[in-house]
Amino acid sequence: MRETMAVFLAGGRGRGLGVLSEHRATAALPFAGKYRLVDFSLSNCHYSGIWPVALLTQHAPTSLREHVHGGRAWDLDRAEGGILTLQPFARRERAAWYTGAADALLRNLSTYADSGAHRLLVGSAEHVYLMDYSELLASHLDARCPVTAAVTPARPEQVRRRHMVEVRGDRVQRFEHYPERTDLTLAAMGLYVFEMEFLRAEAADGPRRSLRDLLEPALARGLPVNAFRFGGFWEDVRDLETYYRTSMAFLAPEPPLLLGDPQWPVETRGEERAPAVFAEGSRARSSLIAGGAVVEGEVENSILFGGVVVEHGARVKDSILLQDAHIGAEAVLDRAILDKQVGVGEGAVLGDGPLPPPGGGTGLCVVGKEARLPAGYRLPRGAAVGVGADLTKSEILREFAARPAGKPRP
Amino acid sequence: MSQGGYAFLLAGGIGARLCLLSEKRAKPAVPFGGKYRIIDFALSNCVNSGIFDVGILTQYRPTSLNQHIGNGRPWDLDRTRGGVQLLQPYLGSVENDWYRGTADAIYQNLMHVRQRRVEDLLILSGDHIYKMDYTAMQDFHSDRRAALTLAVTQVPEADASQFGILELDARGRVVSFEEKPVKPRSRFASMGVYLFRRDLLWKALEEDAARSDSSHDFGKDVIPRLLSDGADVFGYPFPHYWQDVGTVDAYYQANMDLLEERPSVDLADPSWVIHTAILDLPPVRLGPSAAVERSLVANGARVEGRVVRSVLFPGAVVERDAEVVDSILMNGTRVRPGARVERAILDKQVWVGAGAQIAGGAGPPNEVCPEHLASGLVIIGKGAALPDGIEVGPNVRIDPGTRPEDFPAHVGAGKVVWNAREPEGAHSHGYPGPEQAAMRD
Repeated sequence: MRETMAVFLAGGRGRGLGVLSEHRATAALPFAGKYRLVDFSLSNCHYSGIWPVALLTQHAPTSLREHVHGGRAWDLDRAEGGILTLQPFARRERAAWYTGAADALLRNLSTYADSGAHRLLVGSAEHVYLMDYSELLASHLDARCPVTAAVTPARPEQVRRRHMVEVRGDRVQRFEHYPERTDLTLAAMGLYVFEMEFLRAEAADGPRRSLRDLLEPALARGLPVNAFRFGGFWEDVRDLETYYRTSMAFLAPEPPLLLGDPQWPVETRGEERAPAVFAEGSRARSSLIAGGAVVEGEVENSILFGGVVVEHGARVKDSILLQDAHIGAEAVLDRAILDKQVGVGEGAVLGDGPLPPPGGGTGLCVVGKEARLPAGYRLPRGAAVGVGADLTKSEILREFAARPAGKPRP
Repeated sequence: MSQGGYAFLLAGGIGARLCLLSEKRAKPAVPFGGKYRIIDFALSNCVNSGIFDVGILTQYRPTSLNQHIGNGRPWDLDRTRGGVQLLQPYLGSVENDWYRGTADAIYQNLMHVRQRRVEDLLILSGDHIYKMDYTAMQDFHSDRRAALTLAVTQVPEADASQFGILELDARGRVVSFEEKPVKPRSRFASMGVYLFRRDLLWKALEEDAARSDSSHDFGKDVIPRLLSDGADVFGYPFPHYWQDVGTVDAYYQANMDLLEERPSVDLADPSWVIHTAILDLPPVRLGPSAAVERSLVANGARVEGRVVRSVLFPGAVVERDAEVVDSILMNGTRVRPGARVERAILDKQVWVGAGAQIAGGAGPPNEVCPEHLASGLVIIGKGAALPDGIEVGPNVRIDPGTRPEDFPAHVGAGKVVWNAREPEGAHSHGYPGPEQAAMRD
């Protein structure tokens, strides 16, 4: 019997990610040229020898389920106890969505119990990091606490986006959520080990929404919570700016994580693309370019996913182009994020106008999946185009998107 | 092929004309096109044509092929019924021995189809580059009520004497067939794709096995005899790209064909995916001074220097100020700063020292294998490590596993760099090695 089961929260709506998460769970967000965010957690499980794995889904789970697909890529397609996707379901007495992480976790207790697990490793499927979970588990077993929380250092500019924790010795004392400023230097990673016994007792006490509702009262009662310190790279990709910044960090000469470490390669569902094609006269540098991409024009400091085409004379700079985006000849992209299958007409300009001043926002253009931009179209800096918006057909949409503050509309 | 059908894939050839590339691996396992192996094309054709029951016949150095095929997952051939079977010769009964020829290889494995409900059997070669829907050939075969249908391609007149050349009448009936004729009577060549009526194949192979004057080869023995017996043998014309990559030059050219603006074999066609065993490697990484033109570059490769008209496999690395032109770099090769590689084929894990100059081009043919290495290419075996600053001329062959100390200061045109520590040099000529000879006894 396997004593530890991994449970990942993969239902996030990802409000901060705008059009990118409108029709997909954040965990399924494409990342770094060929991966999806969930690949990091599942690869960690594979290399740490942890299974079974459950994914708790809620918001737009289709692309995530398709990607995970039985778990083959991570050797989680096991005869017994591989990978489960747990979507909220209706019961005779009631039908309700998960109200938060703790609710999702506790409502599936009987499923974990069926697998015979004594404890759960609970994390988010939206985080980018490589960790050997067996070290976390060793710390947990060693500490003999009902709960272990993984914590990592946070820089002062990050604390506003973090659940900060005070740790004395190896014990978590208290949380400070999203503080403007604080003396605390450690942040909770949203990664815990819970003894099943503790969760059962909590569930008996009535429903909980967030993990915060679960942990803070327990801490107040004097429950010992062990802290496991993690020093490696870790990022919670929750908004466009973080997504952009974290992605671009992989273009640096020293990327934050080694994606292709032969001992620990990040695994993903293969797309079966041909090798990348570089045409006569193409100019590409300082970029990540995935198999199946075709470069005829110029690409600099950008990430191209499989099937992306950059036609002759087009210039792509500081941009992220997800699968099968097509950039017409002579088009210019500067600081743009294009979702899958976006079509950009000949000579269109995305990111028109001067860069925003420091502190004046990211100036990113974001274009939703399958949207089409007509030839010669100029999309101002900071503008967004909604999922499936066909600007080649609709004049109203064209005008709407041309306003810098334009909110996406389908 | 409503029942899906069954295919035998012949993958046992020694591939002597591929020189170093197939010295330690079966020819179908030779890497091709940036991420594939040659056998991927025939195997993908099978599954894309709805054939999910395939027997792969191996004999010569099957290890890399076995590893590559595994349980057949990438081709969806890991099935409860059917799927892929690797059929290596074995001892155990009177009829079993090393395969004596292509026909004998099939004959020794006929038991695998005894219990299968198929009327026709497809026999393929694992060493050709082409994309073909075998269902269209099956329709042709059924329509003509043929006993045997051979797929037919047109080859250049100059090459015709290397193929099985046939003549067809207006309905496609084969009226003459000659294996490797001195004076070819047409440009129609057999592609080594045979669709046999099962009962006829069975009978023909049993007869052939009993003959002591036969070399047990389809092209030389079985097909000519069927024709002289008056069997209904048809030729199915295949009008698309087909390339036998049996020689170093043809192998090189077929790779270079992929770099055309509109390549004859579209590897990106989503309706006919060429499946292969997947390596989970990150996207291609281009450094700030990278310049890549007219090239195919697979995931996991890293380029800091300049790459022109070349094919880079996963994990190939071209460092700063290095230049790779008109070349093929297989998995894990590394070209150190300032080195230049031109018109060369580098097998896996080759290390080219800083400032080395490898310059294919015109020059006298190779002194050891002039018949295979004369067009000016340089061919470097797996795991060779070339010292810094070395100069290498055209038609040079560098043995697998050679170390920097094995090299003279300058490797002139047509020379060979031997690996003194390698006891298995006999294989380079394609003759059975000592261990194979010993196992025959």
